Amino acid sequence: MIGVFHPQRWPLAVRAPLIVALLMIGIAAAMSKVVLDRLARDQAQSFRQLTGAYLDGLSTALHSPVIRQEPWEAFDVLDRARHKYSGVNPRIVLVILPNESVLAALDPATYPVGSIAPEKARIGRSDPDLSDPGGRVWVHRTLREGGREIGRIAAEIDIANIQRVRSDTLWTLLGVNGALTLLFAGLGWFVVHRTLRPLLRLSSYLARAGDGRLEPIPDHKLPPPDTEAGKAYRRYNAAALAISEREALLHRLADQERRALLGRYASAIAHEVNNPLGGLFNAVRMIQRHGDDPERRERAATLLERGLTGIRNIVRASLVVWRGETDDRTLTSGDIEDLRFLVESEALRRDLQLEWTNELGPHSSIAAQPFRQMALNLALNACAASPPGGRVCFSVRSDRDETVLHISDEGPGLPADCRAMLLTAASATSAQDANAGLGLWIVARIVSDQRATLSIEGPPGTALTVRIPHAQPDLRTAA
Amino acid sequence: MRAARARLKQVSRRRVLAGGLATATLAMPTLARAARPVLFGLTPVFLDSDIQLIADLERYLSRQIARPVQLVKRRTYQEITSLLVANQLDAAWICGFPFVQNREQLRLVAVPLYQRAPLYRAYIVTRAGRESQTIHSLRGDIHAFSDPDSNSGFLATRSLLAGLRESPSTFFARTFFTFGHRNVIRAVASGLAHSGSVDGYVWDVMREIEPALVSGTRIQHISEPMGFPPVAAARGGPRLAKRHRCGPDQHAGRSEWPGDPRHVATGWLCRG
Repeated sequence: MIGVFHPQRWPLAVRAPLIVALLMIGIAAAMSKVVLDRLARDQAQSFRQLTGAYLDGLSTALHSPVIRQEPWEAFDVLDRARHKYSGVNPRIVLVILPNESVLAALDPATYPVGSIAPEKARIGRSDPDLSDPGGRVWVHRTLREGGREIGRIAAEIDIANIQRVRSDTLWTLLGVNGALTLLFAGLGWFVVHRTLRPLLRLSSYLARAGDGRLEPIPDHKLPPPDTEAGKAYRRYNAAALAISEREALLHRLADQERRALLGRYASAIAHEVNNPLGGLFNAVRMIQRHGDDPERRERAATLLERGLTGIRNIVRASLVVWRGETDDRTLTSGDIEDLRFLVESEALRRDLQLEWTNELGPHSSIAAQPFRQMALNLALNACAASPPGGRVCFSVRSDRDETVLHISDEGPGLPADCRAMLLTAASATSAQDANAGLGLWIVARIVSDQRATLSIEGPPGTALTVRIPHAQPDLRTAA
Repeated sequence: MRAARARLKQVSRRRVLAGGLATATLAMPTLARAARPVLFGLTPVFLDSDIQLIADLERYLSRQIARPVQLVKRRTYQEITSLLVANQLDAAWICGFPFVQNREQLRLVAVPLYQRAPLYRAYIVTRAGRESQTIHSLRGDIHAFSDPDSNSGFLATRSLLAGLRESPSTFFARTFFTFGHRNVIRAVASGLAHSGSVDGYVWDVMREIEPALVSGTRIQHISEPMGFPPVAAARGGPRLAKRHRCGPDQHAGRSEWPGDPRHVATGWLCRG
């Protein structure tokens, strides 16, 4: 389950510029690192060269004064070199004898002649750390004569300028890269938004299709036909038109099926009415001939009542079933019993055993008409599929949450295409397999509209179970 | 001391030396008139940084005596004295101490008049701001001398300490030579030395031309007047002019030497 704030839910016009910005940030970070690393290497090399030249110059000039341990001459060298090396910024320069005493210092007031050199002037790491937070590093040069150490030069160099250049470069890179990132993100948003605009419009039209209708895009909103968007829009319009035509066709077919069904049942009703008519006429003739005989008259009246009762039941069931969409009543147990007359008639005609269970409770809140249509379709299909002498089970149960319709037969099983039609909700709203019956398509639509669940078991035989939740949208909107 | 400074304040080293040396060369007409240049030695009183001054002086002297003059500089007093004694120089402006040391080999040519007298003083200077009142407060210092053959830059202080039954090595913690009076001032001003011995007239002159440097020092002790460093020649060298007093150099103010002729050295004692 993707959360509301998950990036996949963000609009593409936001995600694409963000991706561009993230890429830019990544590229900028990588470029900045390369530049800063290169700068650090160059600065370190330049620093080594500068301080090397500085110490070379000092060591050459200091060689004799150090051998003679002349403080003045050593100081004179340091003092004269003070402004000779503009690239080097020495803060402390000490000429130290092997016994660690100071022979001369650039600042002799702080480091007097003969004093012990400070601890920090001891030889440390050979490669100065130019990122030292103190902004100063020590460099050293040992003075030798004949392979023997005669002293050394220790200089503390101010590297604030180097670090300032590094810092300036870093901030410049951050500023420039930040501005470029924002610029490209803005451009990315603009370009992507502009590029995606036709797609987003098409997406909005497709989103409306979720409501069961595909609205064609007006001609004045169609992009030029030679563009990708133009082709896509036209393909969408063609699909919308085809689906619309198919829907209309299906509705016509459904109507025809309904009429055919009506004809079949009209025929069945005529048959059911015709059967008792012979008996009724016999009863009438019996009354005409033997009306004076109370016993015979009573028998004839009984026959008349039974025959007329059967006819009345048939007519009442037909009226209930075929009363049409104007019937918006809630399903009752009586509706189920009405169906029984129709199904029993078909079962008798086909010599089938019908097991009928009606346990509809008082909590059922579903509409009567679509349920009756669905149940009758399924029950008649079960009768049609069952071999002579077979058994058809019809059961309706309900509780507080749902109403369950269960119909089973002993036929050869539901064909695969019919099974697919019933189980695929999408097919119920968009298309109908030509090999599947319209009755099943209607059932599938009702199941979909009612957001019911349908399960199929078998072969052997076929067992269909439809579970209709009670807290559902108005079933009266179903077909 | 304030009075002494007041007397010295109008003097500049250039004016003293330019006027004095120019007058001295005018007193050398009897030097050999060969084509070779006149070799005139200078002690480290002149600084290495005074290249332009020395070039100007050389050109000026050459014009005055109508002969090429080559000024010879060495790092120490000793080197100039040795060259002079070895007759490698026609004359040299040396210090009084080496002149006395080599009195038998040298003859006095002239003595500059400084403030109308052939006299000057030696200073002992310390860093400015140091609270020291007497020479005794300098005990244990690192002390900078100018040159072992310098009267004011070494001998005067040594003599002062001898009067206290001390020597530089016992009185001071450490001493070193800078081989230049200006270097003594630099050493003291920078803190390399706590105190130093320096020519009084050099300190006075530098106070005018390098006030930033000299302001880092202050005078702790002023010696008694001493004979001004003389111009000497080797005995047996060319005969010099008879003793006479030379007047102010009338050419100085009009020649390459800038400045007011009234401030040029007041005179020159020449010995023939």
